[in-house]
Amino acid sequence: MTYLRRLPKFAYAGPTTLSEVTALVADTAPGEILLLAGGTDAILQMRRRERTPKTVVGLKGVAGLDGIAEESDGGLTIGATATLAALAASPLVRRRFGLLAEAVLQIGGVELRNVATIGGNVAGALPCADLPPALMTLGAKVKLAGPKGARWVALDEFFPEFSRTAAQPNEILAAIGLPKPAPGSAGTYLKFHDRHSMDMTVVGVAAFVTWDAKKKAVAEVRLAYANSAPTVMRARQAEAVLKGQAPSDDALAACAEEACKETKPRTSWRANGAYRLELIRALTKRAIRRACEKAQARPGDAP
Amino acid sequence: MSDASHKPNYDFQVLGKPQPKKDALQKATGRAEYADDLNFPGMLHGKLLRSPFAHARIKRIDISKALALPGVRAIVTGKDFPDVLYGNLPKTRDYRALALDRVRYIGEEVAAVAAIDEDTAEDALDLIEVEYEELPAVFDIDAARAPGAPQLHDKAPGNVSTHSKSQFGDVEAAFATAHHVREDVFETQPIKHGMLEPHACVGIWEPYGKATLWSCKMSPYVVWRQLAMGLGVRPSDVRVIQTFIGGGFSGGKQEAMPMDFCALLLSKKTGRPVKFVHTMDEVLTIGHMRHPMRIWLRTGVDKEGRIVAQHCKLLANGGAYSSIGGLSIYLAGAMLNLPYRVANIRYDGERIYTNNGFCGALRGHTVVQICFARDSQLEMIADDLGIDPIEIRKRNAIEEGDVTANGLRIGTFAFRECIERVVNESGWRDKRGKLPKYRGIGIGCGGHLSGARLMGHSASAAEIRLQEDGTVNLTTGSTDVGQGVETVMAMIAAEVLGIETDDISYTMVDSETTPVDPGTFSSRVTLFTGHAVKRAAEDARDQIAAIAGEKLGVDPKDFIFKGREVINRKNDKQRAKLKDIVRWGSFQLGRMVTGRGAYTPAEEKIDFETGHGNLSPAYNPTACVIEVEIDPETGFVDVVGVWGADDSGTPLNPLAVKGQVIGATVMSIGQALYENLIRVDGKVMNPSLRDYKMPLATDLPKLANFRHSSIITWEPEGPFGAKEAGQSAGTAVVAAMASAIYDATGLRLTRLPMSPEDILFGLKAAEAAKK
Amino acid sequence: MTKPLVPVTLMVNGERYDVSIPPWRTLLEVLRETLNLTGTKRSCGEGQCGTCTVLIDGKAVNSCLYLAIEAQGKAIQTIEGPAAGDPVVERIQHAFANKGAIQCGFCTPGMIIATKSLLQDNPKPSEDEIREALVGHLCRCTGYVQIVEAIQDAAGALAAKEGA
Repeated sequence: MTYLRRLPKFAYAGPTTLSEVTALVADTAPGEILLLAGGTDAILQMRRRERTPKTVVGLKGVAGLDGIAEESDGGLTIGATATLAALAASPLVRRRFGLLAEAVLQIGGVELRNVATIGGNVAGALPCADLPPALMTLGAKVKLAGPKGARWVALDEFFPEFSRTAAQPNEILAAIGLPKPAPGSAGTYLKFHDRHSMDMTVVGVAAFVTWDAKKKAVAEVRLAYANSAPTVMRARQAEAVLKGQAPSDDALAACAEEACKETKPRTSWRANGAYRLELIRALTKRAIRRACEKAQARPGDAP
Repeated sequence: MSDASHKPNYDFQVLGKPQPKKDALQKATGRAEYADDLNFPGMLHGKLLRSPFAHARIKRIDISKALALPGVRAIVTGKDFPDVLYGNLPKTRDYRALALDRVRYIGEEVAAVAAIDEDTAEDALDLIEVEYEELPAVFDIDAARAPGAPQLHDKAPGNVSTHSKSQFGDVEAAFATAHHVREDVFETQPIKHGMLEPHACVGIWEPYGKATLWSCKMSPYVVWRQLAMGLGVRPSDVRVIQTFIGGGFSGGKQEAMPMDFCALLLSKKTGRPVKFVHTMDEVLTIGHMRHPMRIWLRTGVDKEGRIVAQHCKLLANGGAYSSIGGLSIYLAGAMLNLPYRVANIRYDGERIYTNNGFCGALRGHTVVQICFARDSQLEMIADDLGIDPIEIRKRNAIEEGDVTANGLRIGTFAFRECIERVVNESGWRDKRGKLPKYRGIGIGCGGHLSGARLMGHSASAAEIRLQEDGTVNLTTGSTDVGQGVETVMAMIAAEVLGIETDDISYTMVDSETTPVDPGTFSSRVTLFTGHAVKRAAEDARDQIAAIAGEKLGVDPKDFIFKGREVINRKNDKQRAKLKDIVRWGSFQLGRMVTGRGAYTPAEEKIDFETGHGNLSPAYNPTACVIEVEIDPETGFVDVVGVWGADDSGTPLNPLAVKGQVIGATVMSIGQALYENLIRVDGKVMNPSLRDYKMPLATDLPKLANFRHSSIITWEPEGPFGAKEAGQSAGTAVVAAMASAIYDATGLRLTRLPMSPEDILFGLKAAEAAKK
Repeated sequence: MTKPLVPVTLMVNGERYDVSIPPWRTLLEVLRETLNLTGTKRSCGEGQCGTCTVLIDGKAVNSCLYLAIEAQGKAIQTIEGPAAGDPVVERIQHAFANKGAIQCGFCTPGMIIATKSLLQDNPKPSEDEIREALVGHLCRCTGYVQIVEAIQDAAGALAAKEGA
C-alpha cells in the first residue's frame, strides 16, 4: 500500500513544438515518458507511484497546442492542451457547442479547470471522465500525431478497453475535432455525484438530439455514458430505439431500458452496480428530455 | 434574540458585541505559523513506516539497508522506546509509541526514519524489511464478540475495550406501565475530523536539556504527560509548545501521537531537530475518528407520549486501541438524559476492539450518534400515537431546575424556546406534511454539556500581568483551535479591567510557562477557563484599586474601571489612567500587578462505569429544522433550508458563537448525508479528500435560508452568563435530516449516512409494497 | 539517480528568485521549502482542499499540482503578496477578519487568493457564483456562511471604491 509520496525522480523536457514532442516520444519504452499537460491526474499518479517515468515531457509550452479554432466547414478544432477554463470561457464553444461547455463546468472547481486540459481528460482513458461522453455525442474525432504525421480516429473507437486508447506508443493526442452541429440539434450532460461539486462521477449521461420540428420527433440521437462500463461508451442500440420517435414517456422508457441492457456498470465501494443502473435509467430519460427541450428552443437554428 | 429574564442588571462594555478574532489578520496574511511552517537550522524530516496488515506479529525488523541509504540519519523501532503503554484513562492504556511485536490495524506505525529531506525519508521506508506473521483479523462487532474470535489485547477478553452500565429508577416496572413501547436499531458510520491541517510536529531533544515538542496540539498538557509516560521521563523533562492549530475537532491533536514520540527520540539520536507531517491519506488512514455504533433503543411512553422508561444497548466498533473510549461510551449513556425527561433509564454500552483504525472523540463526541437515535425514535413514537412531532418533544422537554435520573443538575435550559424559535423561523406549521411531494421539512433536538468534570485533572487557571503601558499579558493553558479562545478570554479580561480587547495579548500554551490545564475539549474552555480569567482579572483589578487608592486617597472599593481609567464612583473627578496607576505602583511602590485566577467545578466526580453524577456545570439544549428536496429518480438530497437554535447562555462574542454553531451544524450535515470512512477488511478505501466527502459551499442552503438563533439566558454557573456553543448545535442535525427525509418521502432511515442509494431503493421498495 | 539540479527563475510577488531545484519539485514545495513562503499551505496534496492556491499569471491554481519548473517565466502571486501591498487582497483580508470568516485560518490564504481571482473576473458575483467559486476550497470550521458574507462584503466595498 502506497501512501501519497513526493514526486518520483525524473528528468524534465519542455519542448516548444509538436514535432519536438513526437520526437521525444518516438522509440521510447512503455512508461518511460509521461506527457504532462495540466497534471491534475498525472501528478497524483506519480505521487502514488502508479507511474514512474524516466522523463516528464511538459506540454504547457508547446506552441499552438492549446488553440480553439473554427474550421471553414463550421467544425471546431480544439488543441489537446486547451484548458477546461479556456473551453468554458470560449464564446465559440458556449454558443455552438453548449453541451461541451456544460460538461466542462461540471468538472472540479476553478483551480482545477484553470490547468486541467481536454487532452488529459480524454487521453487518460478513464471510464469516469466527463468530457468523452459529451464529445462522443458531438461526433468528435481525435487527432493523433506521430513521427510519420497525423491521423484522425473517431472518439467512439478511441477506447478499446479500460484505461487504454487506440493511440500507438509513439503517437500523441494532438487535437480534438468536432463537426458542425446539425440545425435544430442540442445536447446535455448529466453527471450524478453525491455532492453538488468536485466528486468523481458515479454515472454520467450525455444525450445529443437533432429535433425534427415538422414531425415533432427525434430525428437523430446520440447517447454516451461515463462510469457505466469499463470504458466511456456509446449506447447505439438505445439510440436506435428512439431514432425517429416522438419523445413520449413510453419511447423514453424503452430507450432507457435498452441503455440499461447495453451498459455494464460495476459494483465498487463507491456505488453498487444496481444503483448505477437505476441512475442510467433515470438520467437517460432526463437527459434526452432536456436535450429535446433545448433543441426545440432553437428551431431551425443554423449554428 | 430574547429572554434576558435571567440576566442581572449588568451593562457590558466589551462582551456581547461581535469581536473579530484577534489573530484574524495574522492568519489572513499568511503570517500565522503552523507546525509545518516551522523550520530550524539543520532540521531533519521524518516519515513513518506503517503496517500493511490488519493483524500480524512482527517477527523481525531489519533497518540496515535503510540506514545505509545516503541522507538517512537515524531509524527507530518499537524496541527503542521504554516498554510502557500510554493512553488516556488509567484503566485503558494500550498505546505504544511504535508497535513492539504486534500490529493491530492497517496503518499502525512500525518504524520511523529521519533523513535530510522528505524524499530520502520516504525512500528509506522502502528499504526497511519487516517480517510479519499474519494473524486472523476481525473487523465487525459481531464477529469480534463471537466465541473463538481473534483476540486483540490480552487484558480485554472478548475484545471488550471498555463498558459502561447504568440503571436509574425501576426500569422494568416502568416499561410494564407503558402505553406503547418501541424497539428500534440505529446504525452510524465512522466520521473523520476533517481538519485541513494534517498533524505535524517538530521535536528537539537536547543532549543535556529537555525534550521539546512544537506541535498543533489542542490539549498540550495531555500530550506533555503522555510523552513523559511513553518516553519514561519526568514531565518536567518534557516541554510542549503549541503552534497555531489548523483545526482540531479532537482526535490526534488531543493526544500524543507516534510522530511526536518519534520526532523526539530521533532528535535525541541525531542531535538535530526532526519534523514530521502527515500526508492527508495518512491522516485518513490512521485511527482517530467518530465511533461507528449500533444503537438498540427501547422506549416506553404513556398515552400522551411522555417517556416512562428507556433502555439502550449500544455497541461501538472501537477499532484497535482505546483512545478516550471509556469516556465516549459513558457519555453516550449520560446523554440519554438530555434534552428529554426520562425517569427510568437502563444503559449497557460496550466498546469493542476490532482490527480497524481506532476511534475516539470528535466534535459532539458520542452525543451526535445517541441524539440521532433517540430523537428519531421519539418522532416514530409520535407517529405511532398520532401525536404532533413538535408536541411530543415539548411534552418531554427538560426544564430549568430539573435533576435528571442520572444526577445532572439542569440550570438554564431554554429548550422549549429553541423549539418554538426554529418552528417559527422555518415556517414549520405551513410546511410539515404540506409541501409538494419529495419536498419535506423535519426537526431534531439535542443538547450538550459545557465541559465535563473529569476523574483526573479538571481545573483551569489564568494569569494576568499588567504592563507599564496599561496593556495586559494574559496566559492560560487553553488553546485556540479557531473557535476564538484568545479573543473571548481577552474580552473577559478587558471587561473586568475596563480596557479594550486590543490591549490584551494572549500567549499560546507552552508547558514551561503557561498554567497547567486539562485542555481544549468537551466545550469546557469558555466556561472553565473563562471563569479563571475573570477571577485573575478581578485579582489584578483589586491590586490596581489598592494602588490607586493610595495614590488618589480613595477607598479602593469605590473605584470603577472604564475606558482605560480608574474612576471614583462617588466623585468622577477623582480618576487616573490605568497605565499611570500601574507605573506608579511599579516604580514607586515596587508592586507588580499580577492577577491569578482558577476555576474548578464542585468536588463531586463522575463515575464513568456507574454513570451517576452531575457531569457538567451547565447544559445547552438545541433544536434544528431542516428542509430538503429529494430527487425521486436518483435519491439525491438537496438541503434547501436549515434553521437552528440553541441556548448557549449569554454569547460573549456573538461573531464567534455564530461561527461555532454554523460550523457544528454543517459538520453534522456531512455526517447525515455523505461523510463515511469506508473500510473493507480494515483497509480504508477512501483516504482522500475527494472521496472522503465533506460539505462544500455549494452543498448548503443560501444565506437567507440558513439561520441560527441564540436563545439568550444568563447561566449562573458560567462566566458572565455564558455556556458552551461549539457542540450542541451539531447534535440535533442528523435527526432533523432523517425527519425531513421522512416528511418528503415517507421513508424512515435509521442507518447513516442517508445515501441517495438507500433513499432510492427505499422508495422503490415502498412502491413495490403498495402494489 | 542523483539529483540533477536545474536552475529556475521564479517571479514571486514581483520579486525574482534564482533557485536550483530538481525538476520533480512542485511549486508548493519550492515556495514553502526553498523560498520559505509558508503562507501557502499544504494539506490534501491532490487539488481538493484549495489551501495551496496561488495565482499564476492571474489565474488561481493548486500549487501542489504544478511543477515549479513549469512556473518559470510566469508571474506568481502568493498570500504574502508584493512588498508594496495589493489593495484588493488587503480589502478581502479585512472583510474576512471582520465578518468572522476566519477560524483556524488554515484554509484562509487559499480562500483569499481564490476570492481575488473571483472578483477580478466578476466584480459583482451573486451568492451562487461565490459558492461555485469556492468548490475547490474546503473549510471545516465555518460552514462557509461567514466566508460567503465576507466575500459579499469585500465585493461591495471594492465596487463602491471603484465607483467613487
